[in-house]
Amino acid sequence: MANIAAQRIKREFREVVTSEEVQRCAIKLELVNDSFTELRGEIGGPPDTPYEGANYVLEIKVPETYPFNPPKVRFVTKIWHPNISSVTGAICLDILKDQWAAAMTLRTVLLSLQALLAAAEPDDPQDAVVARQYKEKNDLFRLTARHWGAAYAGGPDRNSDFENKIRRLLDMGVEEHKARVALSSYDWDLERATEQLFS
Amino acid sequence: MATSSGSEPGPSREGEENKEKDERMFECNICLDTARDAVVSMCGHLFCWPCLHQWLDTRPNRQVCPVCKAVISKDKVIPLYGRGSGKQEDPRNKVPPRPPGHRTEPENTNGFPGFGFGDGGFQMSFGIGAFPFSFFTSSFNFGEPRPNPAPVGTPQFGEEQFLSRVFLYIACVFILWLLLA
Repeated sequence: MANIAAQRIKREFREVVTSEEVQRCAIKLELVNDSFTELRGEIGGPPDTPYEGANYVLEIKVPETYPFNPPKVRFVTKIWHPNISSVTGAICLDILKDQWAAAMTLRTVLLSLQALLAAAEPDDPQDAVVARQYKEKNDLFRLTARHWGAAYAGGPDRNSDFENKIRRLLDMGVEEHKARVALSSYDWDLERATEQLFS
Repeated sequence: MATSSGSEPGPSREGEENKEKDERMFECNICLDTARDAVVSMCGHLFCWPCLHQWLDTRPNRQVCPVCKAVISKDKVIPLYGRGSGKQEDPRNKVPPRPPGHRTEPENTNGFPGFGFGDGGFQMSFGIGAFPFSFFTSSFNFGEPRPNPAPVGTPQFGEEQFLSRVFLYIACVFILWLLLA
């Protein structure tokens, strides 16, 4: 790895670890290997959002050309958000693509992702299904996002109505995550979800 | 780094911390190290020249400041020449030399351009025009700045001294002649 990338990650790591956001437990950063090429980030769901109280783990891969090119970031924790793929965790955020600037750091990336959770951009979606729900049935979207936060990210409020519907599908032999995806995609309409799963 | 228990020895630690703080002021915004071959963009952000050069090369179609995203270009950066700079060879330095500074000479308040001729400092001003008392201008030094006199001790200096005495003598004779005539 180029000297400059490793040098910078070392410095940034120090910066993040001593930053006040870490002390407020809003963000976290850990090393995955000794060569500073892969890190594990964690962000807390921002207050007053469906993600509040949940913690999201991120996979951060630092390219050799860092900081001239952005780090590759992906959600490891499953999340229901218009700009994040509910399947792969891929993120649609301009600063991780063409709007990247070399003065940005891992700390600013983590804070930007936290801001993305608070302010989705449904007109530039990564997950079209989620984005449609966000725009057309926003209340249901919020409940779904909160439910996913509870199911995958340690958030509160699992929502017993949703739980019951999932259990019905589980009884039919459907795997839990598949059931949750199907129900979420069909606005928790059990009939249509079942139809899709068994067609 | 800044917070550590008192187990670390060394009386110079506090000084080192202060030094570290000072150095942070001059960190390159790209490599986060103390800026080498420092340049400043028009928007005021500090970089190593090799770092900034590489950034601009990475995105030829989007030449923006890595900090504030203002439009920047290679020709419009200002190099910083500190006193302690130089001699530190950087391994990343295989880039074109950083652009030179732009400097303009201060303007001369020159009344008579080209009045004084003579390239070695000798002012051939006596007798120019209708007014012959050139010893005024040469002795009282008003008018335009002249080329520096030759340094003391050189043959040219002696020559100039001699010539100026000769001309002063001629001028005196001329005045006497005017008064007596």
